[in-house]
Parts: sequence; C-alpha cells; structure tokens
Amino acid sequence: MSDFYELTTDVIDIVSVARRVVPPECGATVTLDGYARRFTRDKATGEVLETEYLVYEAYEPMALKEMAKLIERAKSEFEVSAIGIVHRLGRLEIGETSVVITVAAPHRRDAFAACEWLIKELKRTVPIFKKEVYADGEAWSEGDSVASA
Amino acid sequence: MPTRNRVKILLFGATADAAGIREVEVEVAEGSTVGELVDSLKAKHPGLAGQKLLFAVNEEYADPATPLENGNEVAIFTPVSGG
Repeated sequence: MSDFYELTTDVIDIVSVARRVVPPECGATVTLDGYARRFTRDKATGEVLETEYLVYEAYEPMALKEMAKLIERAKSEFEVSAIGIVHRLGRLEIGETSVVITVAAPHRRDAFAACEWLIKELKRTVPIFKKEVYADGEAWSEGDSVASA
Repeated sequence: MPTRNRVKILLFGATADAAGIREVEVEVAEGSTVGELVDSLKAKHPGLAGQKLLFAVNEEYADPATPLENGNEVAIFTPVSGG
C-alpha cells in the first residue's frame, strides 16, 4: 500500500482520498477534513473577523518534499501502515476542504495519534500560505511557530 | 575582480506582497550568507523589515548563517499557514 502526498487546485473528494488507504492488514483509517472557516479571531486584537473566501499558495516543490518528510517521520514514530495527504491551493469558498490527511493503522489509537501529529507538523513546516479575504480587506495568515532548520 | 555568485530569490504570500515581487535574480559576493542577502533585500524593500522571516536554500530550510553558492534558489517567507 503506497503513501501519497499531493497539491491540487481541484475540489478535494474526501471519501475517495480516504478510500485510497485501506490496506488489508488494517481495519480502520482516521481521516482529517480541514476546511475553510468563516470566523477567525485576530491574534493581536481579539477581534472576530468574517472571511469571505481563502486563497492558498505554496512553494510547491519544497511543500511536496516537506510532506514526504512528514510521512516518513510519522511512519517511523507511529505504528501506521499508510498515509495520504492532499492540500488544496488557489481560491477556496467557506466550508470547502483545504486539507485531507488520512492514516491507516492496524489499531485506531496509532492512527488518531499519527493524524494529530501530521496536521500539527504540516502547519509548522510545509511552506503553504493562506490569505483570508474579508469584505473590506485581506490578510496573509501567519503561522504560530518557526520551523526548525 | 572578486567572484560574484548568481542566486535566485523567491518570495511567497506576505513577503511577495511586501516586496512587490515574487522572483528576482541577484548577484552576491562570494562567501556571502543568506542573512546578508536578506538584509540587502530589506534595504531595497522596507516592507520586509518588520516581518518574521523563514528561509530555504534549494528547497531545504536554512538559517541566516547559511553560505550562498552560485545557482542557489533562496526562498524567503513568513511562518507557514497551511492546513
């Protein structure tokens, strides 16, 4: 069962992504559906901003390399069999899926743990950038933590 | 004549907007570092100065002390915000 990691400007079909990882030695996958939120709290002011749509862009070749590294690290740290990551780029409407991470494991506890670790690390290390567009302006979202060299 | 190295700079998201460019090729002195390149870019594009920046050389994370070589691709961006 092979792992996969992809960037796409197409709408992501979560079910078809999740069903690409169903190895026979496993009995479950854990799949994260990250989607475009409408309301975001401004980190500096605490003000709640209403987003009309999002735009994602990426340093694509490096993003793919970093996604491959995440999969490799997750497979060495957790008892999991297969991992798929698909991230959307371009314009996303509210509610549309921005990222899918799906993890198959012999035991669900490992799949949940690996999926949580993968999204946390993806948000820290993979060079993808989100712009929130509001009725009266726009802003690039800035991640919380600094990726290590 | 001291040797000059040619490097390509890529900017994304907030850094591209702040500088008004997404890609530029520049010449740097042999032995110069990522940090020196970024300082010269900040001098030319003051909008970059107030931002927290991350760097990559040839698609791998790098730090300001990383030396530049001819033909390097240097990416400069703010903390990533995918997910």
